[in-house]
Amino acid sequence: MKLYNILTVFSCIIIASALIVGCESGDDDEIVDETYDAGAILDHYANNVVYVIYSDLDTEAGELLDAVKALQADTSQSNLEAAQQAWVAARIPWEKSEAFLFGPVDTQGLDPALDSWPVDRTNLQDVLDGPNELTTDYVTNELDDNKKGFHTIEYLLFREGDQRQASDITDRELEYLLAATMNLKDSTAQLANAWAPDGENFVNTIASAGEGNSVYRSQSGALQEMVDGMITIADEVANGKISDPYNEEDTTLVESQFSFNSIADFQNNIRGIQSVYTGNYNSDGPGLNDFVSSTDSALDSRFKTEMQAAIDAIGAIPNPFRDAITNDRPAVQAAIDAVGTVHITLQQDILTLINENEFN
Amino acid sequence: MKTCLTFFISTLILSVLIGCNVDQPTDVIDSNTPVESTGALSGGDTTIFSESSHAFSTPAPNLSADALEKHLDGDLEFEAVFVTAPAEVNPGLGPIYNNITCINCHVRDGRGKPPAVDEKFVSMLFRLSLPNTENADTGQSPIPVPGYGTQLNNRAIYGTPSEGTVKIEYSEQTLTTADGTRIHLRYPDYTITDTYKPIPENVEVSPRVAPVVFGLGLLEAIPEETILSYADEADVNGDGISGKPNYVWDVVDKKYKLGRFGWKANQPNLLQQVASAYHDDMGLTTSLFPLENSHGQIQLKENLTSPEVSDEILDVVTFYVQTLAVPARRNVNDPQVMHGEQLFAQAQCANCHIPTLRTGVLPGVPSVSNQTIHAFTDMLLHDMGPDLADNRPDFRASGSEWRTPPLWGIGLVQTVNGHTNFLHDGRARDLMEAILWHGGEAEKSRRMTMQMTNVEREALIAFLESL
Repeated sequence: MKLYNILTVFSCIIIASALIVGCESGDDDEIVDETYDAGAILDHYANNVVYVIYSDLDTEAGELLDAVKALQADTSQSNLEAAQQAWVAARIPWEKSEAFLFGPVDTQGLDPALDSWPVDRTNLQDVLDGPNELTTDYVTNELDDNKKGFHTIEYLLFREGDQRQASDITDRELEYLLAATMNLKDSTAQLANAWAPDGENFVNTIASAGEGNSVYRSQSGALQEMVDGMITIADEVANGKISDPYNEEDTTLVESQFSFNSIADFQNNIRGIQSVYTGNYNSDGPGLNDFVSSTDSALDSRFKTEMQAAIDAIGAIPNPFRDAITNDRPAVQAAIDAVGTVHITLQQDILTLINENEFN
Repeated sequence: MKTCLTFFISTLILSVLIGCNVDQPTDVIDSNTPVESTGALSGGDTTIFSESSHAFSTPAPNLSADALEKHLDGDLEFEAVFVTAPAEVNPGLGPIYNNITCINCHVRDGRGKPPAVDEKFVSMLFRLSLPNTENADTGQSPIPVPGYGTQLNNRAIYGTPSEGTVKIEYSEQTLTTADGTRIHLRYPDYTITDTYKPIPENVEVSPRVAPVVFGLGLLEAIPEETILSYADEADVNGDGISGKPNYVWDVVDKKYKLGRFGWKANQPNLLQQVASAYHDDMGLTTSLFPLENSHGQIQLKENLTSPEVSDEILDVVTFYVQTLAVPARRNVNDPQVMHGEQLFAQAQCANCHIPTLRTGVLPGVPSVSNQTIHAFTDMLLHDMGPDLADNRPDFRASGSEWRTPPLWGIGLVQTVNGHTNFLHDGRARDLMEAILWHGGEAEKSRRMTMQMTNVEREALIAFLESL
C-alpha cells in the first residue's frame, strides 16, 4: 500500500515536472532543468561576508569605546576628534551590514538598540539634568532604544554638525557617552557572537540551508533571504534615506545628520550590497554572481555596473547631504535614480532568477 | 508576466496532484472522504512566494501603483520611532507606554513572544480590568482599574513612573500520548510587580503577545454574514462546538459591531485596532481616542497636543496592515503534508480553523476584495477550557473564550521571528504543544491528537509547517 502511495505521488510529480518543462519551453529564457547547488555561495556568504562584517563592527565598536574612554580621561579637542573619527569608522561596517538586516540583529532586538532614529533629545536632556548615576546598566536596562545606539552617541559627540568644542561637553554627557558606548559595544559583541561558528552559530543556519534546517528548509529560501536583504536596503536608500528628506526638503529627516556622515552611510549601504553579491569582502569567494553569471552573464555584468554607478552617483552629491537636498537637487535626483536602478534589477531580475530556478 | 507564469504553473501542479490524490488510498485514522488540499495560494491574489524573513512584510503583489505608494507610506509610519514631546520628528510618546514604535512589537510584521524569565517584556502586553460583580455577562467593555486603565504600561518617559511590570514563572507538566510519547507543557504564572501604587487584589490580567499583521485586510473583507453562518452559540447541531460572535463598541459609529480583531475579537475594524494600539501601547492620541492613556493618572503631563497622530497617518497605517501579502504555502504536494491535511480535518481542527473563505468587498481596498483565502479561522469565539483561560471577559467573550486565530504563515514564524512560541501568551514552545493546550470545545480534537501515532502527529505538524 505504502509503496503504491509513493509511486502514485512520484508519478504525479513527474507529470507535473513534464508540464513545467512543457510550459517553459514556450518561454524565451534558458531552461535550467537540473538543480543548482548553492551550498558554497551560502557558506561563503555566512562565514566570510556576514560574520566578518559583524566581527569588524565589533572591533570598530571596541575602538570607539577606547576613544570615548580617552576622551573622558582627557577631554581635549584632539581626543574629541579622535572619538568622532572612531564613530565614523564604526559606522562603515554597520552600514554595510544593512544589506543583511535579518536573523539575530532582528530577532534579538539589536537593530533598534544600535540604530534607533530619531534620538529622544528632550528626554535625553531630562536624564542628563537628573540625579541618576549614568551607569551602563542604567542606560541599557532603564532607558529606551531612542536614547541609545549610534545616533545618541553621534548626538553627544557631534551635536549639530557644527564644530563641537570639547570644552562644551559636560561631565554628565561624558558619563552618558561612556555608558551608551559600552552598551553599543555589548550589542555588537552579542551580534557577532550570535553568528560566530564558535558562538550561537547562525552562520550554520544559513550555510546548511536545505532539508533538516528548521529556518531555511531549502537553499532557495536562504538565497531569497540574501536577495531580500539587498532589496530592502536598496529600496530604503533610494526611496527612504535619500528621497524622504529630498522630497520634503526637510533636514530633520536626514540620516546621520549630526555628523554630516550621510553620504558615506549611503555609499556603504551599496558597498554592502556589492559584498553580498560578489562574495568579496576582505577575501574573495563564491558569491551570488557565480550563479547569476552561469545563468545570465549579461545580467551579471549589467548589475555590477549599476552598483558601481550608484556608489559614484551618491559620491557626486556635494557634502553635506543636508544642504545638497536644497542646493544640489539634480545630483541628489541622479543618486536616487542610480540606486533605484539597483533596486529594480534586484527585485525584477535577480530575485526572479532565484525564484525560477531549483536549488539543492 | 513572469509572475503570471509562476502562478499558472503552481496551479497546474496542484490540480494535477489533487487529481492524483483523489484516487489515492489513505492510511488515516478514519475513513472519511479525503479533503481537498487548500493549495498554495493562501491569500488569493495577495499571495507571495517567499520563504525568507520577509514573508510577512511584503506588500500585496496586486496593488496598483498608487495603492503601493500609500502602502509604503504606511510602512514608514509603522516603523516610526516616537519620542518625548516637544520634538521635530514623531513627538508625543507616552508619558506611559509599552513600546516606542509599532515594529518593535510586531517585529517584521510578525509574531511577538514572551520574555525569557527575568527579562523585560517587549513584544507582549497585559490587559487589566476589574471584575464586573453585578453581571458577569454584560457584553460590555472591560471595567478599567483606577490608576491603571485597561492595560499595564510597563515603560514611561524619564521622570515619570511606569505603572509596573510583570514577573512570569513557569511550571512544567508532562503529558503522555497513547503511543507513549512524552510531551512537556509549561504553565505560566503571572505576578504584577513594581507597581507605582497599590493595585486591587481582584484585578483581572490578560497576557497577550503581538499578533502577526499580514492578511488583515482580507479578514476585514470577509462578509459579516459569512462569519455569522458559522456561529452556533447554543450548539444546536450538537457537535460540541459553539462559535460565538463578539459584539464590541465601535467608537466612530457609536454602536456595537461584530468584533473581528485581537485575541478576543474585541476590535470591530482595523482603523480602530490601529488607533487603539497607538493609544494603549504607545500613549499616542488620535481623533478616535483623543484622551491620553494616562488620563486621570499622575503620569499625565500638561500641555500635550491632541491628536498626536493625524488622521492621515492613521489612514496610511490602516491601509498598510490591510495590504500586506500573505505567504504561499510550501510543499503542498508533499505526501506527508497531504496526509497531515487529512488528519487536520479528521481531528475536527478544521471545524473552527475553517480552511477556505471568500472575501466580499472592502471599500477602498480592491486588492483584498473578492478573494478566495485560506486563513484557517472562523473569526468566532470559542471556549478553550480552563487551562487556557485568562478569566478576563472582554465584551461578549468570557474569561475562557478566544477568537480562533488564523493559522496562515505559522510555518514561517521560525524563519521570520526566530522562535516558535504560540498561543495568546506564547506559552506553547512549538506547534504540538499549542495543539495540546486546546481544551473546552477543542477537547475532542486534543484527545484525537493524543491518540495519534507519532507518524500521524509528525504529518499533522508537517501540514501546519506548510502553512
